[in-house]
Amino acid sequence: MNTSSPYDLIVIGSGPAGQKSAIQGAKSGKRVALIEQNREVGGACVYQGTIPSKTLRESALQMVQFLQATDVFEFRMRDDVKISTLMTRLDKVVRAHGAFMTEQVARNGIERYHGRAQFVSDREVQVKGLDGVTRSIRGNHIVIATGSRPRVPAHIPIDHEHILDSDSILSLIYLPKSLTVLGGGVIACEYASIFALLGVQVTMIDTADRPLKFLDQELTDQFCGAFEKTGGHYHGQQQIQSAQWDGFSKVTTHLENGEIFESEKMLVALGRVANIEHLAIQAAGLEPTPRGLISVNEQCQTTVPHIYAVGDVIGPPSLASCSMEQGRRAVCHALGLDSGDAPEHIPMGIYTIPEMSSVGLNEQEAIDKCGGALVGRARFHEIARGQISGMTNGLLKLVADAEGEKLLGVHIVGEGATELIHIGQMGLLHHIDIDRFIENIFNFPTLAEAYRVAALDIAKQRKK
Amino acid sequence: MTIASTAPTEQEENAVLRAHITTQLEQGTLDLPLLPVVANQVLQVSGDPNADATKLAALIQQDQALAGQILRIANSPAYLPRSPIVSLQQAIAWLGMNMLAGLAFSVSVQSGIFSTKGYEKEVRHLWSHALATGLFGKEIARRMRHNVENAFLCGLLHTIGKPVILHLVLTSQTNQENLPTWTDLEPVIQEYHIPAGSKLAEVWKLPDPVQEAIRLYPDQVYLQATSPTKGAIITCLADHLASHVFDSSYLDEETLRALPVIQDLNFYPDDMDALFELREGIQQSVEAFLV
Ligand SMILES: Cc1cc2nc3c(=O)[nH]c(=O)nc-3n(C[C@H](O)[C@H](O)[C@H](O)COP(=O)(O)OP(=O)(O)OC[C@H]3O[C@@H](n4cnc5c(N)ncnc54)[C@H](O)[C@@H]3O)c2cc1C
Repeated sequence: MNTSSPYDLIVIGSGPAGQKSAIQGAKSGKRVALIEQNREVGGACVYQGTIPSKTLRESALQMVQFLQATDVFEFRMRDDVKISTLMTRLDKVVRAHGAFMTEQVARNGIERYHGRAQFVSDREVQVKGLDGVTRSIRGNHIVIATGSRPRVPAHIPIDHEHILDSDSILSLIYLPKSLTVLGGGVIACEYASIFALLGVQVTMIDTADRPLKFLDQELTDQFCGAFEKTGGHYHGQQQIQSAQWDGFSKVTTHLENGEIFESEKMLVALGRVANIEHLAIQAAGLEPTPRGLISVNEQCQTTVPHIYAVGDVIGPPSLASCSMEQGRRAVCHALGLDSGDAPEHIPMGIYTIPEMSSVGLNEQEAIDKCGGALVGRARFHEIARGQISGMTNGLLKLVADAEGEKLLGVHIVGEGATELIHIGQMGLLHHIDIDRFIENIFNFPTLAEAYRVAALDIAKQRKK
Repeated sequence: MTIASTAPTEQEENAVLRAHITTQLEQGTLDLPLLPVVANQVLQVSGDPNADATKLAALIQQDQALAGQILRIANSPAYLPRSPIVSLQQAIAWLGMNMLAGLAFSVSVQSGIFSTKGYEKEVRHLWSHALATGLFGKEIARRMRHNVENAFLCGLLHTIGKPVILHLVLTSQTNQENLPTWTDLEPVIQEYHIPAGSKLAEVWKLPDPVQEAIRLYPDQVYLQATSPTKGAIITCLADHLASHVFDSSYLDEETLRALPVIQDLNFYPDDMDALFELREGIQQSVEAFLV
């Protein structure tokens, strides 16, 4: 039992959700404790997720661009790529980002506890150190931000050596000749397209008929086209029976339809599970959902009002971007501060090659919700900037209401998609008319001009 | 080269031995032949057209000298690898069964045979320790989601300098009937194995992370290592665990759990529980080898 005075706020987990929660608490003048089981601050986002995957992607793209520029390269990477160069850069970026976050936590006067948190009661948390020694701390408010980790399917023996998950794939020290990717979600597609670009023979296998089912099909069609050009192959509507290392040189995958695939390595990206196993949430009066998540209301408040849960531990959308905002809002609510309006339109950024991004309604949703839709398209190879940069793919789609007047959604595939989307997001937030894109001036030549071209496409279709 | 023996004192003998080792280290003329048992197995497996590929793969991954030589040759211009071969598994996948069998055969023929005469027990111990360190390294890397193949290689080769020194001493003795006792030899091996291993790794052009682990695996220095694969720190703990399993006079479980390397790896008591649970399995795998 701990007798020292309670913290205003205890945050468990230092990923984007926990870090932003703690900073919000500290900036509001509160005494904050941050518990993290790892030595470093930053969570999966810094060490296994967003930052490393994006760094690897960027490095791979830069290498390809370099080789293109030196004219030794046609479409695929040359054979002698040294993955160690990519990994060393990755290590540097991750370390730098981790150091920055650690410094930010310290600068804000947040007290750090290095250890594993476990609830003793709804206001008391025990921190178990590396040496097994425990300390208890008390808090008036507690935020659970313990994130998630890759799911381990029962029938696939992930050994992190031949059969890898999205954490261990980052430990590769050489490029395999071939890679089977199980899954068709964001993480599967991102890594599949990066490795295909690097010259690895990639086969994706999933139950869905196309990858990233939640996205506009025109976007995923372009992604699949680009993926195939780099030698990749998407094998949809398949059930995996088993996957096994043969003890010599390959992983063999048996599908239920009798097909057999062989590859040097395998990446299993079949979803994630919330990190709640060490928390003993029942001691705080909480119960996990049947899917093993912590359930919360729109303020990220759990069924115990002074305990909040944010980030991946509460389930989708499981994005670093949303996790940060959830952390900030939860703490504002806990401290009785105004957190502003809840975000209306959450953009989705997918860092495949090419990038994809989307905000607002897609065509079908617009038809269902508004009784009809007009869609305007702009292809990057028709835009001056796209021609200059030699872009062969890239598409921006604007979705408007049936009259072609109000902007309802934006969907983009092509390099720069995750940046370009924010113009559309601001348009949606301000409920702008499609004509605003036509009446205003964009820098020339830019890809942003695609907004104007797509708006003109809608204007053309309006009933006279 | 041989050392003249005109009945010198023990101290003189030691000084001559050290001088000889230092010279050989400076010249980089270090050598590491295969153990007779390993050479025999390689000849058997590589000469058998129906041999099981997994058998050959296992063999290559169990012996320091064979592993190091395979890497050295696989990276040589004769084989023109598409990118540097940095792990045994990569060499296996890249070369395929036939080429690998040929390579293993030529290594075992060209390397010569290690004379274990008079030191059978100790040699067995050196080899067992190296293999056990590699196997523990694998498990540590798995828990950390670090590269398992690299951790294995670092562990297997971290003490490659020990047999090198032993071989150097044995081949330098003119009087094979009057070999130094292990008690005399051990401190010399201990003193020189890191420089010897580093030199051999450099001459054989072993992958950089492996060279780093050989140099920096001991407790006091692993934090100086910079390789993202963390081979040095992983090997440090793996080396302790291997010694714990194969040497009854070594640190007990409780003392091991308190080592700074465990904190530096961010290992919790349950991580260590899991590693300790593997002791028996690893011991059995190692003992199955060298039979
Ligand atoms: C490969 C990959 C790519 C991604 N790309 C993107 C992207 O491009 N854009 C994007 O927005 N999102 C991306 N994400 C998702 C993003 O990384 C996550 O949504 C985000 O990290 C979730 O943040 P979090 O704070 O909830 O949890 P985490 O980042 O998982 O952090 C949780 C922290 O809690 C700690 N912890 C857990 N249990 C305990 C305990 N009992 N005691 C103490 N500490 C504990 C963990 O050690 C960890 O540090 C990606 C994820 C992956 C895997």
